[in-house]
Formats: sequence, structure tokens, C-alpha cells
Amino acid sequence: MSLLPQPPLAPPRDWSFPVPEHAQLSNGIETLVYRLPGQHVVAVHLVIDVPLSAEERAYEGVATICARTLDEGTRSHPGEGFAELLETEGAGFGVDPSLAGLQAILDVPASRLGPAMELFAEAVVEPDQADPDVNRQVQLRLAEIEQARANSAHLAGIAFRSAVYAPESRASRMSGGEPETVAALTPELVRGFHRDRFRPQGATLIMAGDFVGDPVAIAETALGGWQGNDGPAAGQSTPGRAQRQSILIDRPGAVQADIRLGGYGIDRRDERWADITVASYAMGGAFLSRLNAVLREDKGYTYGVRMQFSPLRSGGSYAVQGSFRTDVVVDALTEAWRLLDLTGQPITEQEVADAVAFFAGVTPLRYATADGVADQVATQVLAGLDEDYVDQSLAALRAVTPKSATAAYQSLVDLDGLTLVVVGDADRLAEPLRTSGFADLEVRTA
Amino acid sequence: MDSGPASDVAYPIEQLRLDNGLRVLASPDHGAPSVAVNLWYGVGSRHEEVGRTGFAHLFEHVMFQGSAHVASGQHIALMQAAGAAVNATTWFDRTNYFETLPTGGLDLALWLEADRLGTLLDALTQENLDNQREVVKEEKRQRYDNVPYGDVMERMVSLTFPPDHPYGHTTIGSMTDLDAATLEDVRAFFRRYYRPNNAVLSIVGDVASADAFTKASTYFGPIDSGELPAPPAATSMPPLGSDADTPPRAETSARVPAEAVYVSWRLPARDVPEFDALDLAFSTLGHGQTSRLHRALVRGAELAESTSATGMGLIGGNSFGFAFARARDGVSPERLEEALLAEVATLAAEGPTEMELRRAKAQFERHWLHELARIDSRADALGEHATLLDGPERINTRLAEVTAIDQGHIGAAMGRWFSPEQCATLIYRKDER
Repeated sequence: MSLLPQPPLAPPRDWSFPVPEHAQLSNGIETLVYRLPGQHVVAVHLVIDVPLSAEERAYEGVATICARTLDEGTRSHPGEGFAELLETEGAGFGVDPSLAGLQAILDVPASRLGPAMELFAEAVVEPDQADPDVNRQVQLRLAEIEQARANSAHLAGIAFRSAVYAPESRASRMSGGEPETVAALTPELVRGFHRDRFRPQGATLIMAGDFVGDPVAIAETALGGWQGNDGPAAGQSTPGRAQRQSILIDRPGAVQADIRLGGYGIDRRDERWADITVASYAMGGAFLSRLNAVLREDKGYTYGVRMQFSPLRSGGSYAVQGSFRTDVVVDALTEAWRLLDLTGQPITEQEVADAVAFFAGVTPLRYATADGVADQVATQVLAGLDEDYVDQSLAALRAVTPKSATAAYQSLVDLDGLTLVVVGDADRLAEPLRTSGFADLEVRTA
Repeated sequence: MDSGPASDVAYPIEQLRLDNGLRVLASPDHGAPSVAVNLWYGVGSRHEEVGRTGFAHLFEHVMFQGSAHVASGQHIALMQAAGAAVNATTWFDRTNYFETLPTGGLDLALWLEADRLGTLLDALTQENLDNQREVVKEEKRQRYDNVPYGDVMERMVSLTFPPDHPYGHTTIGSMTDLDAATLEDVRAFFRRYYRPNNAVLSIVGDVASADAFTKASTYFGPIDSGELPAPPAATSMPPLGSDADTPPRAETSARVPAEAVYVSWRLPARDVPEFDALDLAFSTLGHGQTSRLHRALVRGAELAESTSATGMGLIGGNSFGFAFARARDGVSPERLEEALLAEVATLAAEGPTEMELRRAKAQFERHWLHELARIDSRADALGEHATLLDGPERINTRLAEVTAIDQGHIGAAMGRWFSPEQCATLIYRKDER
């Protein structure tokens, strides 16, 4: 059978991130409207200025329980009746508390935005947060923590953040709270948190989709009358850096070990962000990245391994992560270590070109839907980035060179300072790890 | 109350069948400078033979190991370097391969897909096969063996269908079977199923239909069609518990944080309206916080930390439906089972209320519109409806079909398929060792 030669790529059409219309609700909420033809499901994200630093240390998790009880009944529609009304409008409601702030999210077919926005506002402004609902959500959060700790990959993630961020920083602990702080929560604390922290000051409303009617008028009717208290805002904070550690968490009999190998990183505003985006894609982002090409495609040690930089609003972390069958863990780590060292094997011209083409290519698609746009804009608000951040970051990527990518990587990835977390069978892993360079390995029970 | 769906959709769909039998679907959308390429092959785990389970999925991996003009791993590498999101998945009824990328890469995407369909066996080696077998074993360890409750799906399908039934095993299959796979087995599998006349190619996005058809013909036209094997038997099995059989029960234990109960039903195949009616009933039972299971077990009696129920549409004679509840501390799985089945009994006897049905439809509408909002998932939906159902145009009529279902339809479907006496049960206990 004759086949044609490999066809060339035609240059991509110009693309830029959508531009919003600006408005301000009468209570001062900044409103950004993105009109996206053909997007019949409207996405609404309300970013509220409630960073997790607003939680008291003894009551961490209060923001999460507060968020999870918003749609369990409102003063206007108590109990289950509220969620019934919301679901009858075909709406999806969610709340995402994060270190830098909290977003309440509504997805709804465009034709039902009006009534759904009214309900959305009720949940945010006047939730009932009745005692049984708060108490139940506390119990469910405790059960959720148990489930997370029983999952090897989740446990590795939890252990890694506590190993890489300084213990006094909020980022070192689970966003939803730790067992002892969640167990201490009461309905009064949760309602108090809502009263003190949920307010229009500092809030941003993002609306995206193919609207039926005027979205700003709908938002004004629903949220324009909301008034909050005038206390000081909780500040943003930069997590500290922990000492390097090597930790093995024992899961007796586990058939695989989850590995996290990494350290303290940077945020998107660091001038090296574009460079490290390219370098980490070449090292562990692409399918044939240096790590995956060897550890998966050559050796068959894993279903997949990647290297990822995870930015916070300020600071961040990075890790090589993957799950490996127990008997190859030491080999995999040794091999990874060799690959992670760019000495004598810098990032190449081709790797830079491939990375830039990848990010430039997938970007338009990511932001072709209402929820894609609204989610990105909310992320930008929470990270303190400009409205045209996506365009800026694509331009920055195009300026990356092999030299700048290699230099950024080498300035950030300190091979002697890497923190290791392994979750796996300690009987089979502890000694081999100790004798292969992790003499300081600390073994913990799961 | 509105009676019709709140949102009508009318996505353009044009079709062409090449001489070699390949069905090509085009749906232009110039919203973004991107195009989705999606291939559905009519082969999934239901086409596997006894002793050869896991082949369809292993094969999906092999498809990335190179072909006559493409080196191992280069399919994804070339696509990513063209700005593509690329992947493949295997399921009971099919295997799909897809890439979404800037429009200027459409030719390359089609060339790559055509090269592996036309010439995969030229590049297949024992080494590639052995390596991907190891990768699949790692996938199984990571996604099933090393995860709490990771074996539930395998246990439930084997309780619901006989061992030699096409749906009696899961897509990941048996590692013993994979170990036994020879290069010749894999070659035979390819020749049997990877034919243009067993595939649907969907091209959705920033390209005119005529261009999409021309390019598809250019790259896929030279590939020979082949004789397809007879499809596996798709006779509809009766509900569990028919003919005085007792529905199966099983127990297992593992190191899990909470005890749980899982129940499953045989349902009618997804191409009959009864399935859609039952799917809405499952939504009422266990989808979302106003569902009956959540209200009764999580919120009301506080017996469960989580609950869910789902209808899983399949095409080979039957579908599958299941529900589960995970126990709060101190609640026995038997107590949980009793409460769960009480909800099933009430729903089966009385049917959903009018408001419940309206909610289930409204939620379906949002999910469906979401699905169609992206060119990649729209392309997948086109391939799905062309491969398994009457045709791709169904994506434009699904909302109306589901909206037209009434309480009478649901009552009739539940009367035949859905009761506490017709489900298999798995009790999942905590192993305290």
C-alpha cells in the first residue's frame, strides 16, 4: 500500500484570549462579562476574598465546611428544598476554597441564568448552615480524610506538601483541614466565619457564555444588594521553605510505591516562569519527555511519570511524580536522578520548540468553552495576574531559549536538596533506599 | 413548567463513506482555530475471547508503538509538538483514538492515524509488545490493585454477567491472559478489527466539511477494507433473579477505610428507549444531593458517607446499572444494604415524582450541553452515536428524546428491570489486619 509522505504543519491562525466587558455592581463587586457565542451553558465564578489565612490555626477547615454548607439550605429556602430548586433549574453549584481565596461556581443553561443566579446569591449571602448540616459535613470531611489517607497517591501528595513547605505555613497542611482541626469545628464557628468573611468587598464576579438577556442586570438583581461587614481583610502570605527530608510511609503489602521527588518552587509572576514551564515540559511533561521516555517507554517501570511545577499565588512547589512497582523503585529513582541533572545535557533547541508549540496549540482549545474561560479568569484573579495573562504568557514562552530554560531549571532544581516522599511497602523498600543515597530516610506508619 | 428542553442544539453534521467503508463525519465549528480528530473503532473488551481478555486495551497501547513511517512513541510526540492534546481509551464496546490541535496540523493528524491503521504490523516487534505489556501491568497496579475498592468494577460485572458473557470481564482484563499473548495473537487481533470498515472518523472544528472529506479520502482512501468477524452475540439476557434464580451475592474484605455495599442490575441495551427511562430513574436514585439515596442515607439517617447510582449504557444486548453506599463509622454493611434496598423498593413501586423527573431531565440537559460544548467531546459523541446507535444526527435529537420520557415510560421500564429482587450484591468489609 502506498502512503503519502509526512505532511508539514501549516502555521496556526492568530488567537488571543477573550476580552471582557467590565461593569461594577452597586455594592462594588467588579464584574467581568465574556460573551462566547455557541456556549449554551453559562459559567459564573464569584471570587471572594477569603484566603485560607483567614482561618484560625486551631480551626483549619472552617472555610471548607462553610463552603460545603452553603447549598444545604438558605434562610429563604431552608433544608433540601434549596438544592431541589437549584437542580430543577438544571444548575450545577460548587465552591472551591483555595489558599489564595474562594470561588463559588454556577453552571447553568443560558435560558435559566436568571432564576439560577437568584439561588446562587442566596447560597452565598444567606445560607442557613443549620446545626445538623454543619455537624454532618464535619463528619463527612473526617471520613473524606480517612479515604484520602487510604489512597496511596493522595497520601503521597499530602505528605509531600507537609515536607516541602515550612510547618508554620498554611500551605503545608490540607486545604480542607486536618483531622484534629476539623473535629474541633462547631456550627457557631462556621456561621461566624461566614458572617465575618463572606462579603462583596474585594469580590470579583466572572460570567461567561452565550447569554440570553443582560448578564449584568441579572447579576445586579441577584447580588447588587449584598452588604458585608467592614472588618479588615485577611492578608495573603508566602509559605516558608522546609528543610530537605526523605520520608517513607509504610503501606504493608502495597504492589506499587507512589513517589514524589521535588522541592520548593516559584509562582507565575517569577521571571523564570516561562523558562521553567518549558524545561519541566521537556523533563517530565511531554509523552516522550526525558523521564517518561526512559522510565515508561524504555523500561516499562510505570504507567507514567511526570514533573510538574505547582504555583501558588506566592511561591510554589515542584515534584517528579509517579507510581512504580515495588521492585524497581530504587532503579527508577537512580535513573530519575541521572536524568534530572542537566549538566552536560542541557535543554535543546528542539525541546524548546516542541514545548512552545504544544502550549501555544492547546491554549485556544482550553479556552473555547465558557467554563474554561471563567475558570482561567478566576485563577488569574486569585493569583493576582493581569486580565491578558494568557496572551502575556504565550509571548513569554516564545521568548524562551535553550539557554534560559536550562538556566532557570538549574537555578530551581537543586539535586542535593530534593525532598523525597515514598508511599509503599517499607519492609521491601527501607533498606534499599537507605543504601542507595537516602541514609536519612525516615519511616512512618500510614 | 416548561415541557420542552430549554436549549435546542443543531450542530451541522455531514457524512461520507469512503469506498473502503470508512465512515467520515464532518462538523464545522469556527469558534476556535482548532480541530478535533476522533476515530472510533468498533472493538472493545466485549469482542475479546475467553482466555484473551485485556487484548483490546493492550492493543490500544500497541497503537502508539509506531507504524511503517512513524517510530515508536512518535505518534504522540509529533502530535504534541503540533500543539495537540492526544490520547486513546478502551471500553466495553469500542476503542477510541483522538487528537485535538491547531487546524494547521490536521493533515499530520490524519496521516498519523492512517499510517497506523494501514501499516501498524510493519513496525510491531516482540520488544514493543513486551514493553507495553509491562506498562499495562503498571496501569493495572496503579489504577486498580493499589487503590481502595479498586476491584469493585471487576467483581460487579462478574456477578452481573456469566463469565463467558461479553460483559463478564472488564477492559483491563486478566494479567495471565496478557502474559499468554503472543505476537501472532496481537497481529491476528489487528487484522480482524482494525479495518477502515470498522471505524468512524469524526473531524470537528475549524475546517469546512468539503476539506475534511478531501483530506480523509487522501490519507485513508488507500487503505484496504477487510472482512469483519461476526459481532459477538448480543442477545438480551433477562434481569437477574428471573426463572426462580436467586440473584448472586458475594462478600470481600480489604484494607479500606469504610465498609460498603454495592448492588447492580442487568438493564436493556442502550439502543432501546427503555434504557433512557431507566437512566433517569438511576439519576433520581443516586445522582446529586437531592437524590433519594443521598437524602435518605447520607442526610437523613446518616448511615452513609457517600452514595451513588448510575446507569451505564452498553450496546451488546444488555446494559449495566449500579448503586453503592459507603458506611459511616459503626454502621454495618447489612444495615446499609437494607436502607439502600428500601429506597430501591420505594422508587420501583412508586416511580419518580414529577419534580424528581423534571430535575433529572434538567441535569441531563446541562451535562449534555456541556458534552457538546467542546469540539473534542462533540467529535467523540458523533463517533459514539454513529458506531453504536442509529447515526450521528442523534446528538441533535437526544435532548428531545430524553425530554419526552414520562413517568409512565419509567414505571413500565422499572416494572421489568428494576427491583430489589433483581440485583446482585457485593458486601465490602474492612480487613482490620
